[in-house]
Amino acid sequence: MCAQQFVYILGSFNLFLAGIAVICVTHAENHPEHYSLVYIAISIFIFYMGTILVIIMLQIIETYQEQNQLALEIQIPVLKILVPSQSNAIIDENLTIPKEMIRFSVLCIFLAIVFVAGQEQDNLINTNVERTLDLVSHLPKETISVTIENRGTKAVRYYDYYAEPQHVNDVAFVGAVVKGKNTDDQASLPIKQEATDKTKGAIYRIELPSDLRAGQTITLEIEVVHANALRMYPEEITQAERQLVLYKTNAYYYSRYATTTQKTIVTLPTDRAESYTQTPKPVAKSEQTITYGPYENVAALARNEISLHYENNNAFLTVSNIKRWIEVSHWGNIAVEETIDIYHSGAKLKGSFSRLDFQRKQDSYSAVKTFKTSLPASARDVYYRDEIGNVSTSHVREMQDQVEVEIRPRFPLYGGWRTHYILGYNVPSYQYLFNKGNQYVLKMRLVDHVYDDQLLEQATIKIILPEHARNIEFYAPPYDVQRLPNEKHYTYLDTVGRPVVVISKRNVLFQHIQDFEIHYTFDKIMLFNEPMLIVIPLFGLFCLVIILARLNFNISHNESSESRMRIQAIWEQIVENNIKRSSFYQKLDDALNAYKTNKDLKIYNEQRKKLENELKNVQQDLTTLQTKIKADSADSSEKIAELQRLDAQQREIQLALSGHTEKLVTGKMQKQPYLEQEQLLRNKVRDINARVTAIINQY
Amino acid sequence: MTTVNDNSSEYITNSSSSSSAGLKSLITVIILICVCISGFISRLFSIIRFESVIHEFDPWFNYRSTVYMTDNGFYNFLNWFDDLAWYPLGRIVGGTVFPGLMVTSGAIHWFFHMINIPIHIREICVFLAPIFSGLTALATYLLTKELWSKRAGLFAAAFIAIAPGYSSRSVAGSYDNEAIAIFALIFTYYLWIRSIKTGSIFWSSCTALSYFYMVSAWGGYVFIINLIPVHVGFLLLLGRYSLRLYVSYSIFYILGLILSMQIPFVGFQPVRTSEHMIAAGIFILLQAYTFFDYLYNKLRYVRNIETIFFNLSVIISIIVFAIVVLLTYTGYIAPWSGRFYSLWDTSYAAKHIPIIINLHLLICLYPVGAWFCVKDLNDERVFILLYAVFASYFAGVMIRLMLTLTPCVCILAAIALSKTLDYYADAESSEMVSNYDDSVSICDEVENDENNQYLDNNAQNIDETDDNDDDQNFLTSNIKIIVVTCIAMMLLLFIVHCTWITATAYSSPSIVLVSYNSDGTRAIVDDYREAYYWLRQNTPEKARIMSWWDYGYQIAGMSNRTVLVDNNTWNNSHIALVGKAMASNETEAYKIMTMLDVDYILVIFGGVIGFSGDDINKFLWMVRIAEGEHPKDIKENNYFNDNKEYRVDKSGSPILFNCLMYKLCYYRFGELYTDSAQPSGFDRTRSVEIGHKNFDLEHVEEAYTSANWIVRIYRVKKLSNRFQAKDALEKLTSSLSEESFEKNDGKGVILNKPHVKKGTKKSMRRT
Repeated sequence: MCAQQFVYILGSFNLFLAGIAVICVTHAENHPEHYSLVYIAISIFIFYMGTILVIIMLQIIETYQEQNQLALEIQIPVLKILVPSQSNAIIDENLTIPKEMIRFSVLCIFLAIVFVAGQEQDNLINTNVERTLDLVSHLPKETISVTIENRGTKAVRYYDYYAEPQHVNDVAFVGAVVKGKNTDDQASLPIKQEATDKTKGAIYRIELPSDLRAGQTITLEIEVVHANALRMYPEEITQAERQLVLYKTNAYYYSRYATTTQKTIVTLPTDRAESYTQTPKPVAKSEQTITYGPYENVAALARNEISLHYENNNAFLTVSNIKRWIEVSHWGNIAVEETIDIYHSGAKLKGSFSRLDFQRKQDSYSAVKTFKTSLPASARDVYYRDEIGNVSTSHVREMQDQVEVEIRPRFPLYGGWRTHYILGYNVPSYQYLFNKGNQYVLKMRLVDHVYDDQLLEQATIKIILPEHARNIEFYAPPYDVQRLPNEKHYTYLDTVGRPVVVISKRNVLFQHIQDFEIHYTFDKIMLFNEPMLIVIPLFGLFCLVIILARLNFNISHNESSESRMRIQAIWEQIVENNIKRSSFYQKLDDALNAYKTNKDLKIYNEQRKKLENELKNVQQDLTTLQTKIKADSADSSEKIAELQRLDAQQREIQLALSGHTEKLVTGKMQKQPYLEQEQLLRNKVRDINARVTAIINQY
Repeated sequence: MTTVNDNSSEYITNSSSSSSAGLKSLITVIILICVCISGFISRLFSIIRFESVIHEFDPWFNYRSTVYMTDNGFYNFLNWFDDLAWYPLGRIVGGTVFPGLMVTSGAIHWFFHMINIPIHIREICVFLAPIFSGLTALATYLLTKELWSKRAGLFAAAFIAIAPGYSSRSVAGSYDNEAIAIFALIFTYYLWIRSIKTGSIFWSSCTALSYFYMVSAWGGYVFIINLIPVHVGFLLLLGRYSLRLYVSYSIFYILGLILSMQIPFVGFQPVRTSEHMIAAGIFILLQAYTFFDYLYNKLRYVRNIETIFFNLSVIISIIVFAIVVLLTYTGYIAPWSGRFYSLWDTSYAAKHIPIIINLHLLICLYPVGAWFCVKDLNDERVFILLYAVFASYFAGVMIRLMLTLTPCVCILAAIALSKTLDYYADAESSEMVSNYDDSVSICDEVENDENNQYLDNNAQNIDETDDNDDDQNFLTSNIKIIVVTCIAMMLLLFIVHCTWITATAYSSPSIVLVSYNSDGTRAIVDDYREAYYWLRQNTPEKARIMSWWDYGYQIAGMSNRTVLVDNNTWNNSHIALVGKAMASNETEAYKIMTMLDVDYILVIFGGVIGFSGDDINKFLWMVRIAEGEHPKDIKENNYFNDNKEYRVDKSGSPILFNCLMYKLCYYRFGELYTDSAQPSGFDRTRSVEIGHKNFDLEHVEEAYTSANWIVRIYRVKKLSNRFQAKDALEKLTSSLSEESFEKNDGKGVILNKPHVKKGTKKSMRRT
């Protein structure tokens, strides 16, 4: 972070300096006397390039050092991750072949064990089953607390959960924990879905935490969520009607093991049940709950269908399609955007929708007006929009551990109505992106909360990594996801494109909100790729302008303008010359005055001689300039000749003045006439100066 | 001593005057950049207050076609047959639009995507008008520079950047043709001035290209193709003919003619319609004039040659005119279109024209600028004077053309101001003026920069000319300071006014309405988008929606559904049919609607929240248009009560109470209490209790009504079954299974029913 900010500051400072340099150069173009500004500009550019070089060198050194360190430690992080998520790791094709082979052989052995074990596992029985069927939401949720006893002789490692054949496609989630332990460190047990048996149903193989030895018991809590299992009955209702649903299930716990004693408790959303199957006895209903059982000694794979017809006015929302984009930037930001197609999967609205009834009476039982989405606590810049602009009816509330967005679609959702929206936000990357040297790990939720009891029928997650990221390895959360081939994404200043990891998953529930991990290698030096893409062209542009400004693109040779420029240059020299000349005369005057007071002729003569020599040089310079200018402009040459004439006059006057002064000092002259003479001569000098100035000012 | 001091001080002033060119250009560039930025920023009010979407109704079509073009490519766009419009006729979009706007934003979009900047086409469309207003400011600077001076150019650029007359049609989110057309217009004029000044083929070709861009962008190109020939004609009349003029006009006309015919929508109009005939006539006249001029130079010795040539010219002009009239009469040239005739109708001007609101200070300065131009006339100043005269007239007649007047007013006002300040500003006052810099806002910076900049220039000018120009001395510096301060104050007021007008009058979007609660908080009424989005999401994809034409583009754009009529009102009889359906009673309307395959009807109703632009208030227009086509069925007088008033309360006419529009708007409104002090069914827009409550709808049912009832959508019911569907099917299947081939004796209810339906349809067509 610090380095990045430093680079930002340095970059903007450099841009600022470049601006100054350009101003200096343009200024110097028009002010030849300020030509030194060009040196400032050049030094700024040297500094500019220097800093760039220093940054690059520093980075190279740093990268080199890090690589050296990494060579020693590289084993550790890789191993750590591979072990826990072995069963679900979906590894990029970049992985080496030996690893694949090892995995394959491990799998073979594993399968062999399973096969052998499967033959002998009939000795398990469910001694006690308590099944709770939660029908409050639109996703029927079974929580099965099952006590297993091993009555065989061999130790058992696996327990099979069977989904009934007619519910095979409904099952959206199966999870299991060991009950009775400390609830905090309950790790969910690994579950593996086996091939579906048409008559028996789908098999979910739960791996027990340790071998269950003969005679031992263990209590598992299995959670099963069914999606799309409820049937609307009737399928269409009017605005004022209540929504009734029909649910068919098994009165018994469907298991491949025999069950000693079991009980099923059904929880309904309201106490209004239109009808429910009264067999097998005993069945008891009290307010919202219906209890089936207890039943004794139920055989394996026993089925007894019961149907429940009850009122359910809870939000029947289903997301038919969600596209989630996670864009990682190494400049400190992760952008998340979700494009959501959502519809009301309850009973369809029949007939008209009356706004009056909707506003006046609260009898629109099944309509969904609003729902809440929880975003990470660090989410910023939340936006909620669709194809035609912002949806202005929403609120964001920042809470301690989350940001809660109250999503209110443009219109209330009735049965069968659908809508589409985009929800996006930014999160700072330091919470999700970790690195060691050039090795990066991104750890984020694969899907996030959309609404409570969510059902996302089809989720596509695209994770956009920075450009030039290599060795991408994806570790899925502990459930099956489908990894599609990588894509390329081009956005700001991209040259080779950013790698995109694409994940697809069907029927995503609240229980699936878990973290995934992506490991990749990214050379830090590449971070400067994009700033350089701006800096170098800008620098080139400045250079180009500087060069172009000095080139002549005229096809014809423009004599007159060139000679004009030459004349101007010479006149500038003349101006300088004139300043020098004036200063020498001034000095001569000063020397004369000094002589007048201290009457030291020797010093005065020395000084005068020196100054007169200088003046002669000046005169010579003027002559050379005159010869130079003659070719271009006769007029200027005449002007210079006149300057010379004036100068000669001035010299004569100066000489006369000097003579008078000498006379005065030596007493050959009275003070009064001297003063008169001096006044006369000085007037002449003033006159000459005025004329010189007039000539020079013409240019 | 003194000599040296003199010399050195002289030296310093000397060097500063020689180096001022570089500084001047630097300051010019900075000022122009500031002008562009302020022009851009001052148009963003609606975006900042609301959001980055197309805010107006009409531009939704432009936006939709732009999106289509970026998705499907330019050639598919040219051949695009839009089946969402004008059901069942459809619309050939490629041949009926000016594609310049779409192509411009499409090109920008393409460029950004080429360099991997994934900007959405919507953002480009929203910000296109502000960006082009910056370019317009640059073009105005160039034009004024050619006409008068750089200083005036800077003023003109600053004026046009913020003038409300222009920003009214170029705020962000108003994605209309005018957004780019004004830039094209000014730039074409600049190039034209440039080409008659130089007489070079290069510049006149550029003029033609720029004209081509203008033709592709806006129907207002007719203004260019008439103004430039008029300019040429006036120059001929004033005896200012030159070879430069001949070269530039000939090349411009020929190239421009060929290029303009490349636009499918324009086609052969440039050679077939009267609007373009001035250009052709002047072209021929110029050729003839040049020919005679050539002969005149060769045959100078012939006596009376001038009168001969004058007579010949007159004869040729008469012949050209006669040919044009003849061709018009025989039908080869289309006569002036109705839209053009409306420009001669001065009765429109009697209405209130917001000329002061739009131009403020400039309207006072602009005759002064014109006067300065007249005093110091040359070829190009003739042009700006003609522009001023024509644009003023047309703006007076048709308020939309205020847009073309604004640049001209800005230029002339800038000339006036520049000339005035040339006279009054000198070195002493410049310090005074710069003092007020501190107290002004960012927006004014441009103006100040400009003041200072050319006060500096003036200072130098006056310095230089001081010696020989003593007549300025009668103005004491105090008077100068006062005048300059006054001008600065006026400019300041102008800026404040412009910003205020742009912010309040022109930046309120029409797709969202804003209301303020009693505690001052802002509430957004977003009913339009609510209902349109409902249509988009919850109706069948091919559903056909009947509404008044005002909402056609929006429904097609936001709901992506087929509409019967839209804002491109090219087919009056179709519109009249919709009007008739709205004005008829339910049964009659149902016949029309089944004929037109209508699935949904959409009406706008403001009675609940007091929104006045609703369909009940527009209803009389529908009745009138319907009456125009179907005078037998619909009579406007029937919708007035006995006192010849159009009322919806108890005194309203019964025919109004039974027409479809009334029923759709007020369905179940009678049960609603909108105001606690009033009885139920109180219409807040018209402040009356409605006269007809508690009725039922027979052939339509309410499908959706937005939160504030502004948009009400009804579903047209299908014909109800004669028998219970279940029985009919059973009967049919049983009869088929018994004697599948022979029996056909009326039991086949399903076969029978369409027969009845067909009968009504046919009878309908005859009426």
